[in-house]
Amino acid sequence: MNETFARIFRLFGENIIFLSLIAIVIFFGLFSERFFSLTTLSTLLNQLPALTVVAIGMTLVLISGGIDLSVGSVVALSAGVIGVFFASLGFPLPIAALIGILTGAVVGLTNGLLGAYLRLPIFIVTLGMLEVARGLAYLATDSQTVYMGTKIQAFALPISGIGVSASFLTALFLVVAFDFVLRSTVFGRQIVAVGSNESAATVSGINPRQVRCLVLIISGALAGLGGFMNASYLGSADPNAGVGLELAAIAAAVIGGTSLMGGRGSILGAFIGVLIVCVLQIGLAQIGITEPTKRVITGAVIILAVILDRWRTS
Amino acid sequence: MPLPEVTPSDSPSSRIQVRGICKSYYSQVLQDVSLTVGAGRIHGLVGENGAGKTTLAKIIVGLEAADSGTLLLDGKSFTPANAAESLVAGVALCAQELSLVPDLSVSENILIHTSTVRWRRIRRKSADANAKMLLDRVGLENIHPSTLVSKLSLAEKQLVELAKTLATKANLLVLDEPTSALTGPQSDRLHSILRELTKAGVSVIYISHRLADVLEVCDQVSVLRDGKVLSTKPSSEWEERTLIREMAGVDADFDAGSNTAERDAPVRLVVENLRTEQLPHAISFSCKRGEILGIAGLAGSGRTELLNAIFGLDKRIGGSIKIHSNGEATEVRSVKQAIRCGAGMVAEDRSKDGIFRDLTLGFNITVAGLERIANRIGKVIRERETGAGRKLLEDLRVRSTGVEQKIRELSGGNQQKLMLGRWLHCESQLLLLDEPTRGVDVGAKLAIHEELARLRNAGVAVIAVSSELDELRQLCDRILVLSNRKLVATLERGDWSQEDILEAAFSEYVTQK
Repeated sequence: MNETFARIFRLFGENIIFLSLIAIVIFFGLFSERFFSLTTLSTLLNQLPALTVVAIGMTLVLISGGIDLSVGSVVALSAGVIGVFFASLGFPLPIAALIGILTGAVVGLTNGLLGAYLRLPIFIVTLGMLEVARGLAYLATDSQTVYMGTKIQAFALPISGIGVSASFLTALFLVVAFDFVLRSTVFGRQIVAVGSNESAATVSGINPRQVRCLVLIISGALAGLGGFMNASYLGSADPNAGVGLELAAIAAAVIGGTSLMGGRGSILGAFIGVLIVCVLQIGLAQIGITEPTKRVITGAVIILAVILDRWRTS
Repeated sequence: MPLPEVTPSDSPSSRIQVRGICKSYYSQVLQDVSLTVGAGRIHGLVGENGAGKTTLAKIIVGLEAADSGTLLLDGKSFTPANAAESLVAGVALCAQELSLVPDLSVSENILIHTSTVRWRRIRRKSADANAKMLLDRVGLENIHPSTLVSKLSLAEKQLVELAKTLATKANLLVLDEPTSALTGPQSDRLHSILRELTKAGVSVIYISHRLADVLEVCDQVSVLRDGKVLSTKPSSEWEERTLIREMAGVDADFDAGSNTAERDAPVRLVVENLRTEQLPHAISFSCKRGEILGIAGLAGSGRTELLNAIFGLDKRIGGSIKIHSNGEATEVRSVKQAIRCGAGMVAEDRSKDGIFRDLTLGFNITVAGLERIANRIGKVIRERETGAGRKLLEDLRVRSTGVEQKIRELSGGNQQKLMLGRWLHCESQLLLLDEPTRGVDVGAKLAIHEELARLRNAGVAVIAVSSELDELRQLCDRILVLSNRKLVATLERGDWSQEDILEAAFSEYVTQK
């Protein structure tokens, strides 16, 4: 029983972040009469899945001491690939989705080979890949939005009886699964070790290149899945999808207590970070804040989170 | 900035007076510490790790603030807010954790303070010439000022750190473990530099675990224990033995004795005609079960490189390395494989290649043997992790609050015990130890030596590199001597003297000239 309590406590280990989320929700609840409504909830649940899965991958990469700037473009590329295979070439949806996810994994593998094995700076490699993948997304879709119809939208629509979409459930499942991987598996320990002290990890028999490469592949594949989620929400593949998503994902990870220097972070924290980012977006819009001001506030919140984090860990 | 006036004086006027300094972090580190260092004097500061020496040094140079107490520099109140302020006042620190910037050149590092004080463009030529002079002075004639610091060995870095301290032209130098990575001749050189400086009125606070060095170079020695100054006496009134007793309250003379196992025990490691980029001359030797094999040699003689090659960290270009375990001989091709065959390595530079400083003791202990605390699908079983961690903390008598404590909060000696503990957890049968007691206090050193003797008697093969000949002589069954990257001698216990080892260590350097 005590164990369970300790678990729950650790679950809310990021309690400051969690309490901030609650505070933000209460704030919007007080200042916007529309905030506690089904519309808000459904907007939230629609926006959440893609950013969540991308943020999971980003968090793992950051903890390993790397960064993946290509994820936003990979979302668009994967969506485009799925659109082409499903709508134009007539592949069954699950196969098309799988191809999209694999495309993401291949981009991740390329990042990994260049960054970890050729030892190029991963920031530059993934910055280049941000352009490459975006370009490929335009090429794949001929710069047109590919309409995919209602079949794919089913994934993003609430399942009757449960009230949430398959998309959302998948994202939630992945949060729990990767939280487990990071905290309680040998692989998770290796990621933390590599991000914390690469050369000590080497002496401990861990292969840092392999770990970094694997983490980038996971990030790519999750961005691929993000592309599918984005397409299912829109009902079409938009080559302009996911612009700036990498920054939102980094922000969510950092708000959730992940260190940009590597070696520290949490998937659950990143998920709460995603919630904060999304709730802020929706809430600020509802109380009539304009887009430019929204951006100022969101940016300030990210900086505030880092200050809080510094204060909490010192 | 006007350089501080340095007047040679034989009057015992005090350069720095430390009065009633108190400081606590997690616990009380310094309690009412007072001491006085005269102008032109070298003042030794000894004590176990965690006794508060480094903290006191940091307070004097303004890297830390004292909770209470005062400092008087040349009779005037001295309250540096940071290291830059203390530099201006003529107080410089040569830090134990080296403060060099790896991606800058040697000359840029050496002149980093002097050039930021004067906000001018650095003229490379004169800077290089300046740096060259300082490098020659500390005995690094063969290092070019434009070499990147990251290319240097640990000993060379330490000497560059020293040159950097000398460049400040301070009149109070605080040296924290200045010789921990240096060989005998290199430390001798440092000591003669210090004596020269004192003639010009410079004062030195000299912190070290090497008691012979302290007694040789210092005028006065203070012993710190548990954050208090126990006693201050002229060096002539101290002996190593009395210092140790004062520091730890124990008599720390240790001898591992010779191996109780039979002489023809089965081999654990066979190295044949090994060559790597750094070790161009073929090296062959073997190490038996239940043997402690020492490796002696000057800094840069290839000792670390040899261990790295055996552990699979450095690629070899010829020869073979075979680890024998469970009746099988396996050729080492990677670190992972070496570990699987029962090898384990404790690297020389603990903070760079050893600890994960922001992570817990449990993590640090189990990181090399994760499969031992995980089930078949790779899930870490927490009970196993805590259990293994607790047992090792107890066995090695590590002072800590438990497996959840962060390793950075431990003293150097306790961290070093855990570096060994990491391989005890793996039940390693071949330990490769690079300076296993470097910068470690007397008590921890004794504990590590005892542990190694126990492991040896249990059949573990230990290969230990050390710059301290006394340590090797007390510990080893056999000593290999490297000189200029060649294996020049193998000496059996009872068959060596300090002179034999030194002569062998210098042999390849002498014949070359």
